[in-house]
Amino acid sequence: MASTTGPGTAAAERTGQQQDAVPAIALEGVSKTYRSGGEQVAAVRGVDLEIGQGEFFSLLGPSGCGKTTTMRMVAGFEEPTGGTVRLKGADVTGVPPHRRDVNMVFQSYALFPHMSVFDNIAFGLRRKGVPAAEVRRRVGEAVELVELTGRERTRPTRLSGGQQQRVALARALVNRPSALLLDEPLAALDLKLRQSMQMELKRIQRDVGITFVYVTHDQGEALTLSDRIAVMNGGLVEQLGTPQEVYERPATRFTAGFIGTSNLLSGEVTASSGGVIEVRTGGGAVRAAGSAALGERVEITVRPEKITLAAGAVEPGACELPGTVIEAVYLGSTTHYTVAADGDDGTEIVLHQQNTAGPAEAARRGDRVRLTWRPDQSYVLPR
Amino acid sequence: MPGMKRAAPRPFPEPHCEENRSVSRTDPALLRGLTRTRPSRRTVLGASALAMVLSACGVRGQAAEELSGADFWEGKESSGKLSFANWPLYMDAERTQLKEFTEATGIEVDYDEAVAENKSFFGKVRPKLADGDSIGYDLMVLSTGVELTELMALNYLAPLDHMKMPNFDAYAGQRYKNATYDQGNRFTVPYASGITGIAYNPKYVDREITGIADLWDPEFKGKVGMMADAQEASNFALLLDGVEPGGSGKKDWEKAVSRLEEQREAGIVRRYYEQDYIQPLTNGDLWISMAWSGDVFQQNAEEGTELEFIVPEEGGTLWSDLMMIPYTAKNPVDAIMLMDFLYEPRIAAGLTEYINFIPPVPEAHQEIKEKAEAASGDEKEALEELADSPLVFPSDEDYTRLHDYVPLGAAELKEFTSMFLAVTQA
Amino acid sequence: MAENLPPPTPAPAEAAPPAAGASRPAGRGRRALPYLLAAPAWLWLALFFLVPICSMLSISLMSGDLYQGYVLTWEFGNYADAVATYWRQLARSLAYGGCATLLCLAVGYPVAYWIAFRGGAYKNTYLLLLLLPMFVSFVLRTISWKALLADEGVVLGPLKDIGLLPEAAHVLNTAPAVVLGLAYNFLPFMVLPVYAVLERMDHRVVEAAQDLYAGRVRAFVSVVLPMSLPGVFAGVIMTFIPTSADYINAQVLGGAHNTMVGKIIESQYLVNNAYPMAAAITFVLMAVLLAGIFSYARALGTEQVMEVQAR
Repeated sequence: MASTTGPGTAAAERTGQQQDAVPAIALEGVSKTYRSGGEQVAAVRGVDLEIGQGEFFSLLGPSGCGKTTTMRMVAGFEEPTGGTVRLKGADVTGVPPHRRDVNMVFQSYALFPHMSVFDNIAFGLRRKGVPAAEVRRRVGEAVELVELTGRERTRPTRLSGGQQQRVALARALVNRPSALLLDEPLAALDLKLRQSMQMELKRIQRDVGITFVYVTHDQGEALTLSDRIAVMNGGLVEQLGTPQEVYERPATRFTAGFIGTSNLLSGEVTASSGGVIEVRTGGGAVRAAGSAALGERVEITVRPEKITLAAGAVEPGACELPGTVIEAVYLGSTTHYTVAADGDDGTEIVLHQQNTAGPAEAARRGDRVRLTWRPDQSYVLPR
Repeated sequence: MPGMKRAAPRPFPEPHCEENRSVSRTDPALLRGLTRTRPSRRTVLGASALAMVLSACGVRGQAAEELSGADFWEGKESSGKLSFANWPLYMDAERTQLKEFTEATGIEVDYDEAVAENKSFFGKVRPKLADGDSIGYDLMVLSTGVELTELMALNYLAPLDHMKMPNFDAYAGQRYKNATYDQGNRFTVPYASGITGIAYNPKYVDREITGIADLWDPEFKGKVGMMADAQEASNFALLLDGVEPGGSGKKDWEKAVSRLEEQREAGIVRRYYEQDYIQPLTNGDLWISMAWSGDVFQQNAEEGTELEFIVPEEGGTLWSDLMMIPYTAKNPVDAIMLMDFLYEPRIAAGLTEYINFIPPVPEAHQEIKEKAEAASGDEKEALEELADSPLVFPSDEDYTRLHDYVPLGAAELKEFTSMFLAVTQA
Repeated sequence: MAENLPPPTPAPAEAAPPAAGASRPAGRGRRALPYLLAAPAWLWLALFFLVPICSMLSISLMSGDLYQGYVLTWEFGNYADAVATYWRQLARSLAYGGCATLLCLAVGYPVAYWIAFRGGAYKNTYLLLLLLPMFVSFVLRTISWKALLADEGVVLGPLKDIGLLPEAAHVLNTAPAVVLGLAYNFLPFMVLPVYAVLERMDHRVVEAAQDLYAGRVRAFVSVVLPMSLPGVFAGVIMTFIPTSADYINAQVLGGAHNTMVGKIIESQYLVNNAYPMAAAITFVLMAVLLAGIFSYARALGTEQVMEVQAR
């Protein structure tokens, strides 16, 4: 799958680099097959990616989708069975990990328990033969960057999970690699800590300007942090784009389902012109962006927050679908409704309504409602 | 047998534990300490408690009271059963001789191959004997050696009533009566005997071996086996210098020790063996070794090896495995009856056929010869081999070169074993 | 080695707010429960360790003989005698034990490493294979080595036939044979603790080291080896103590110059009936071993050992 969108524009602007500059990391048709119990299992099935300098890039997908394997091939812990890995344009396929200019932050942190925080962070510099004074200075900077000043002599086992995470980060960053690979680095932290560490990571990445490749199964995290996201499934990249692109215009049914909540409506195309089609669903006719042949059965998707409960007359040209509320969950700023659309195909539609009006206007279970949304906010999913 | 009373160590019937405790209670030093430096109550209690604990576990003297024959046997009668502890492979699997005994007397025998080693068996039964408890056996077989000396010195054996032993008186060979280790067979009679001599493997030794001096020959460096047992090793070292082991003293032992050390330091001795020298001798790890006649006969008969065995010209020793009755036996009358029954020549011959050691009954030789004449085929051949073997029936000339075991007194024993163990356990 | 214990947390009974009503006696009972549960173990220790040790200690200070009995006379000379008479066997035992332990480490560490890191799904099978010989009696295993090392046996025979070894060479009944036998018999005691530590280790730390520019060797030396030291420490102790005290190997595979101190204790006890001497040698051996272990722990850095272990 060719990269349809260039490296994140935000990142490019920030680092002042041209879009046609050499990508920090390039994967060309990379694949990986394992032999497991006499069977060949394909973990990665031909991935093409270009990750720009200074970009915050996420590999997002469920477990087993090949995202970790892809990252480990970049780090050098796995050798691809096909394709080429390039770092700053140079082919590193077959080069062992200790000769690659990338560093990794492990999910388990993999700190060295027998060394102090200082020695952990200094490990890579010392291996590279950096002079002792220089090591002291750079470790000091790194410790400051991750806000662990004063804990240099402590053993990592005496630190909290969040602090260990920072040590792991500093240990990798201090080497100033051309790219930092993070393998679900926040998975072991609790929610509160995870959220503050997300901000922290973003800050650090902005400060050091190093390319981050971030592996996660948490779509929220990916959307929050990334300049660009590659959504992976079954060893393939399903969609590549900015968080907005991936969220707003999911290219596949998988992406639509995996990132956020999506309503799927299926029906028969009754009209198609100028990038807008009309689809007859069980509950009534709706319109959506896209193109399809007349008479074809298609699925269209619309995000819950794009739908509103129509109080009076609907906007001209808007879609409208009647139904019955079967669940209303009050969440403070929003209320989540589940509505059974009229018709016999049993379609249920989820919508998120801002609680701008008073409680008197809120719909209750069993109420008859009309759902409405703008046609350009729903899309035909490719078959 | 009042005339045969031996000087035995004075028995200490009082348990020592009690004495020790009372001593520590009234220890004058402790009393003085109490009145002078006034240590804290706690320290004193602690110290005396520790002293009590430590002294409470003293090992008391283990000797039993000496018994005269008349006292022991008075009022004892056959109970129709007995239990017999013997060495493995010392009677055929059918226990033929015991069956015959039961047929003849109606006494049931519980036979147990419980004796694998003198010292471990003695170690196991000693506490019971010291307490005057039955060891579970009425008759046991142990070898001539230090354990026997200890058993007799501690008065753990029942004095034998020779009135109850007509077969022994009639058939036991002169050599097996009145042995130096048990004059007049007061406590023991032999079950089977053997010679400690020299075995060698002619596959590796191509000259004639005649005596103990060959065990000191540097030509066989690293290929000579000696026995680990203090008494066995010392006997050979003494005989090498022409000293009769029976009359030897400390001066002789010192010389023997230096002989053995000289042999060891020259690298001649490969190892001091407990009893497993026969396999190395067969496969060439050893070329020449001190050996027991029965082992050599059995190895040749069963494995088809052609090991040679000689009685050294300097002399060898005649050892015996002896039947004896512990003084705590529950069925001593039945035990002495079985003891005597095994001295019937026909029975003794039957045992010899199986175990291939020297029977204490010379007439067994004749029995086996007659049986060989009557037999045919393989059995005839085997019986003839047995009857003709000087290892099972030594010649008179061999006998003249054989010495009895040294009957060491209890007092000498400790020094003796210490001296010789220092050689074999360097 | 020690379990992976979490840091001590306050007992739940205390952490919880005091329940209404009379919960005090129940609380106390609950606090006593662990001690009660441990009581059988303490009793066991007291009965089968403390009591025998005390009685052996007292016997080692007695004098007398088998016939008169042995009386506690605080005869400290027994210890001087024991050392003066048997220092050779004692030193030899420590030397053989030390050599066997080093050999076990040299052979056992790679085995443990291989099983832990490369064993994959067959780890348990490999461990079972390693332990399989242990299902055969210790003495039998050792005796089978006699046939293996015989002068004309399967190993030496062919070597002599092709002229690689002189005809007179032998291994059986020499010190190397004893050390080899010891190392063979106690190998699992080294492999298992080392394996346990390596297995429990987060294997990602090796990748982390490689990721930080350490080659395979460097990663092993800087990370794996120091992290496995607690296992090595345990393995060394578990091998050194029994090999130093063992005498079966020396008896079966040794020769006229290889008696180890265990044999001396046995024969002083069983042959000579010199109980005080036997007990005194036992305590000397024990003291020497304990001193050795403590100085070893010192040298290795107990702090560090404990720290890594606590992880």
